[in-house]
Amino acid sequence: MKKTVLAGLATSTALFAAPALAQDCPIKVGVLHSLSGTMAISETTLKDTVLMLVEQQNARGGLLGCQIEAVVVDPASDWPLFAEKARELLTVSDVDVIFGSWTSVSRKSALPVLEELNGLMFYPVQYEGEESSRNVFYTGAAPNQQAIPAVDYFLDELGVKSFALLGTDYVYPRTTNNILDSYLKSKGIPAEDIFVNYTPFGHSDWATIVADVVALGASGKRVGVISTINGDANVGFYKELAAQGVDAADIPVVAFSVGEEELSGLDTAPLVGHLAAWNYFQSADTPENEAFIAAWHDYIGDTSRVTNDPMEAHYIGFNMWVNAVTEAGTTDVDAVRAAMWGQEFPNLTGGMAVMNTNHHLSKPVLIGEIRADGQFDIISQTEEVPGDAWTDHLPESAPLKSDWKDLGCGMFNTETATCVQMTSNY
Amino acid sequence: MRLTALLSRAVTMPVILAWLLFLPPDEAGAQPALQPLLQEHQAELARPSRSTIGPVIAALLASDHPGITDFLRKWEAREVYLRPEDGLFFYAEKTGSRLRLIDIDSGAAVAEPGSREIEQIRPNAGVRREVAAALVPFELNAADPARRAAALDAIARSAEASQIAPLRESIGTETDPALKIRKERLLTLLTAQFAPTRSERLDAIAGLAGDISIEARGVLNQLTATRDGVAAALPAGANIARVLEPGTDLTEAQAHDRLVAAGLAPPRQTAADLRDVLAQHIVEGAVGGVPLHRLNTTAERIRAYEALERAGTVPPRAAPDEMARAVAAHVFYTEYLQPDPRITQAAEDALAATTRTLGLYQVADLVLDGLSLASIFFLAAIGLAITFGVMGVINMAHGEFIMMGAYTGYVVQLFIPDYTISLLIALPLAFVVTFGAGVAMERLVIRHLYTRPLETLLATFGISIALQQLAKNVFGTQARPLTAPDWLSGALTLNDIVGISTIRVAIFVLALIFLALLLFILRRTRLGLEVRAVTQNPGMAASMGINPDRINMLTFGLGSGIAGIAGVAIGLYAQVTSEMGANYIVQSFMTVVVGGVGNVWGTLAGASLIGFLQKGIEWFNPSNTLAAQTYMILFIILFIQFRPKGIVALKGRAAGD
Amino acid sequence: MGNPDITPRQSFLARTPSVLWFLGLLGLFTLGVTVLAEGFGMALLSTSMVKILGMTLCLCLIAVAMDVVWGYCGILSLGHFAFFGLGGYAIGMWLMYARTEGIVIESLANAPIPPTQEEITNAIATQIFGVVGSNELPALWTFADSLAMQLLFVVLVPGLLALVFGWLAFRSRVTGVYLSILTQAMTLALSLYLFQNDTGLRGNNGLSGLQNIPGLLHLPQSTIALWFFWASAAALGAGYLFFAWLVSGKFGSVIRGIRDNEARVRFLGYHVESYKLVVFTLTAVISGLAGALYYPQAGIINPAEIAPIASIYLAVWVAIGGRGRLYGAVIGAALVSLASSWFTGGGAPDVNLGFYTINWTDWWLVLLGLGFVAVTLFFPRGIGGLFDLLVRKP
Repeated sequence: MKKTVLAGLATSTALFAAPALAQDCPIKVGVLHSLSGTMAISETTLKDTVLMLVEQQNARGGLLGCQIEAVVVDPASDWPLFAEKARELLTVSDVDVIFGSWTSVSRKSALPVLEELNGLMFYPVQYEGEESSRNVFYTGAAPNQQAIPAVDYFLDELGVKSFALLGTDYVYPRTTNNILDSYLKSKGIPAEDIFVNYTPFGHSDWATIVADVVALGASGKRVGVISTINGDANVGFYKELAAQGVDAADIPVVAFSVGEEELSGLDTAPLVGHLAAWNYFQSADTPENEAFIAAWHDYIGDTSRVTNDPMEAHYIGFNMWVNAVTEAGTTDVDAVRAAMWGQEFPNLTGGMAVMNTNHHLSKPVLIGEIRADGQFDIISQTEEVPGDAWTDHLPESAPLKSDWKDLGCGMFNTETATCVQMTSNY
Repeated sequence: MRLTALLSRAVTMPVILAWLLFLPPDEAGAQPALQPLLQEHQAELARPSRSTIGPVIAALLASDHPGITDFLRKWEAREVYLRPEDGLFFYAEKTGSRLRLIDIDSGAAVAEPGSREIEQIRPNAGVRREVAAALVPFELNAADPARRAAALDAIARSAEASQIAPLRESIGTETDPALKIRKERLLTLLTAQFAPTRSERLDAIAGLAGDISIEARGVLNQLTATRDGVAAALPAGANIARVLEPGTDLTEAQAHDRLVAAGLAPPRQTAADLRDVLAQHIVEGAVGGVPLHRLNTTAERIRAYEALERAGTVPPRAAPDEMARAVAAHVFYTEYLQPDPRITQAAEDALAATTRTLGLYQVADLVLDGLSLASIFFLAAIGLAITFGVMGVINMAHGEFIMMGAYTGYVVQLFIPDYTISLLIALPLAFVVTFGAGVAMERLVIRHLYTRPLETLLATFGISIALQQLAKNVFGTQARPLTAPDWLSGALTLNDIVGISTIRVAIFVLALIFLALLLFILRRTRLGLEVRAVTQNPGMAASMGINPDRINMLTFGLGSGIAGIAGVAIGLYAQVTSEMGANYIVQSFMTVVVGGVGNVWGTLAGASLIGFLQKGIEWFNPSNTLAAQTYMILFIILFIQFRPKGIVALKGRAAGD
Repeated sequence: MGNPDITPRQSFLARTPSVLWFLGLLGLFTLGVTVLAEGFGMALLSTSMVKILGMTLCLCLIAVAMDVVWGYCGILSLGHFAFFGLGGYAIGMWLMYARTEGIVIESLANAPIPPTQEEITNAIATQIFGVVGSNELPALWTFADSLAMQLLFVVLVPGLLALVFGWLAFRSRVTGVYLSILTQAMTLALSLYLFQNDTGLRGNNGLSGLQNIPGLLHLPQSTIALWFFWASAAALGAGYLFFAWLVSGKFGSVIRGIRDNEARVRFLGYHVESYKLVVFTLTAVISGLAGALYYPQAGIINPAEIAPIASIYLAVWVAIGGRGRLYGAVIGAALVSLASSWFTGGGAPDVNLGFYTINWTDWWLVLLGLGFVAVTLFFPRGIGGLFDLLVRKP
């Protein structure tokens, strides 16, 4: 009985706390994206995306009767600065939510601060998984929403039997390749048919590596390349592929870090037919996407600017946050978090994105073929796949599970039925 | 799955009926319409997948409809559209921004729907391969040689036994000599794999001996593919490739794992298994009489388990030598998938014949790659070597001159769309731009710091970060495209192993030209004489009437100009970003220092050493390029300890300190 | 520098009044920050500001070390940040290990059977190295559970590396720009090595979450930030005092002699190489200590921290502050690093020129680069040189 009374009280206070009264105006949104340094190339676009979304929301009348104000800081691609700036945003600027980070290391740098100060961050980029923080919503793809479907496509549709996993030497390719390695082995691909190579950031000397990949064909098996090569290095890689005449029909390359933005630095004519896997392509033909692209071109004042997957992730994340705040009637992190679970918002590619209680989205997986104009032909689109924080394909992570709603834990060991830790691994 | 197929059938049946009803009677009489046939396979054609398309193509081709191959070709080329409202297929042509649907059978324009009212059907590469393979018999004798060549590619991509007959028949009528050779070769490959008689196959396999092409080795390797096996005794009748000896060919643990995987031995008890078993038998805070708090060592856990074992509650632990006994009781082997031993033997022989040639070619390819890398390092470093050697000045902004050159190339391409012409303009322009920048820098900054070489290093570093950031502000952080003309974008290939991209050959040639040019300038011209004089003794040179300031300025300009040209060359094969110079600067310094300062030959030696060394280390550890770079730098550090003045030591001002 | 009137017996503090001035100012600054800080004082300074100031003090300490090796001894080392980073890594290993150990033991405490030591170690390894796809504790981490050992490594690892490297380099008489490039190659090799994921220090991810000090997890970051600020101030004070003492005596005269004319000092009978080696190694050790204090405040260390550019910046600070005077190094490091974070943090207002808006986030590096050229050209003595003009009346 007592419980019901209390619960009733709680609801009534929530009802009576009129939004405009409870809320300090303006509502502040922190933007933690590098505007200088090596990552500025990718992250500046995301900063603009958030600013555009804020502007749109304000035009619609703001949030809880308040205007939204964006607080932009520049962590300058310097990982320690992400921690410093996150602290500054949360304690000095008192932001209600942060949209930010691109690289995993920058997220892991900001994580301890977010968890210490109970902040809220939306992370928009595809990543290696193996994490679920109480204070972060991951709107990019987990490996099972990008890498695994792409490999399935290679196995089932293209009949690839010999795999070259090429990546830049950092945590995303390493972990993704580890997951893929064990996944491929579970699919009966023997170890000798998996060639792995890691190169430094910005690598440019690709002749030998591409030749090595071509030489894999001597086994008589169909060869495919899974590329987690990051950033600029892709330019040299694709140029070398083109120079050595690697035809997508013979050796297809599927990339997880190459989108419309990266292709704009390249002549894509020789690359037609190579693949990329994302949750979004600009070429998706839906009314929502058309409106989004139009708004983007309008905001940035340049119709040649492309849109890409992390931008869609911010679009979904921001709108979900707005709806969650409206539902909760407050920007209080704990209330918003609870309201986020089960939050739905339409994808730009069709269908509905759902925020799961493991703080990852359910999104469709798209595979696109590069076209001569630098866009992608979508050749495969799955149903919505729920993001899996802990992969099922690594022995250490298989028993782990994240459920912040019912288990209240981001790293729950289902074998021992205990919560391994409340904070994250960083 | 089956249900949905049935459902889709149920939906399409009325559609087909409706279609039949509306067909103009005369056309229907003259030629059966294609659309109803297609509608029978509506679901598979609308959402094609490699796993389901095979029977559909076979069924369509079996219909012998005259329009079917044409339809399949168009369908494969993504020229077929689906109208979801009625499930019909159409061809289409573009009219401005819209599409005009064309009826498949009548060829008449039907409608101009919006892009969201129809779906382009996009068969993926796997499906396209299936279609191409299925169309091979129809294409092998096509009039257009390009289509015949495409058909041959299709055979190479998915070889099937059924292709032998049409291929053999088509050879006789082939008019194009190159295609004829290709056809004969493919026939050999097909015969080796699929011919019905052993003698035919053996002949074909023998014909592949010594052939190092990837295709041929692919076929041979497939013929000699093996699988691992384990059994109590060698199976009779199996084509055994090799018997493995536990202890030498594989470790005992690996052997045991195979036994476990084959279900021939129970799995070993792991520490986690032990813990789990104990956890299930906790009685009043103890397991087998051992109190819980003491179970934090393996020894105590085993003791507890043994207590349980004595009580009979758990199965006995494996004896210590049980693994060894299980392994010893079995035989481990690899077995050919191909059952015929004479064919596998012939294939092994044919492969063995390639081994030696293959090794030689691989070394040749490695040398080519090393040469290419060395020429890139040389080109990037030679400008630095000149300024460093002649003036004793470390120019940290050298990398940014490389970057400036590359961006010059990019800007020129913005204005001149023809890549050849723009390259011809970009090369001298890059030289002019960076020459100017170098001269300006020398006059404004370096000239005032000649007595303080370490401070030159820092001042030029300041310029370097300013230029880098300036480039970012002007061009953005995104990599910019600098595209090689078509005649530079291919590769020179000797065979499937030895090959090098044309652009790298061009860089090599460029490096050679600069080597020759610099040697000529330094040895045979007035300027070279003066430069050498200033290098050796500036004071004396000045007293002989040489103006050292002018010489320094020109030298610096020359070094910077070469960096600009190097930038264009590097940008053609790699990425153009504001940080590209920084990627080369440290390596360039090391090239100069290792080679020996102030000497063109020294730089050449340094670049060769570093280039070949890096390729060599990469060859030993092909999966980690970063490690190769690390070890190379470590080697250089050590090398300099023992030869501080570099490979080619020089006397003169630079050698003075 | 040496004044013939002063007898060598006079204490070095009396001879160098600037040291007392410096220590006094540092003490006042520390007191001021403490009073204003969130942790104990009036909460006018945010915790992030206290952290920034504490980190800046550590940078000042390595700048002082750099000044000794370059400004006094004439060795332009472009690799001292490698030692700084190694110090950070050494302490970071303990911080990560001990923190993870706490988490692991807590989570395993619920298990029905108490864990074995091996199980604990494996669980720790999985936690730490899971992100780089490994679950084994590398041999490098053997002593990571012992604070004492890792503290020893803070000193030993940079010290030994400097000793070996210096011994090899000075023995072969590598000098001038060659030595600069060689030290740069050293730091490049080290950072490339650490960038590899399988070297046992988590590759590009580095060690993170270092601001959570094991055993002090119950304390708020505002308190910990202040403690580290005090430690950094104390370290800077002690380091400054030590180096000031070192360079004031005969040893200082010899190394200045080496800077000005190495051959002459050698002919005077001094074993130049040993002097250089001592200076190189000592400054490396102090750099390592500075790093060990810096990274727990920064929260994360990764190989990008020791890329060659960092060491060049270090030289830039010292040059801007003014070489050959220890306070110059402090001024340079503090000024440039604080200005950097002010400009890139969006603190500086944009300048609207009408046709173009100067956004300092974009233009700060251009300004810094050109400013640096200007200082080198026109104020070779740096900002500290202006100080001298004020103090020593003409």
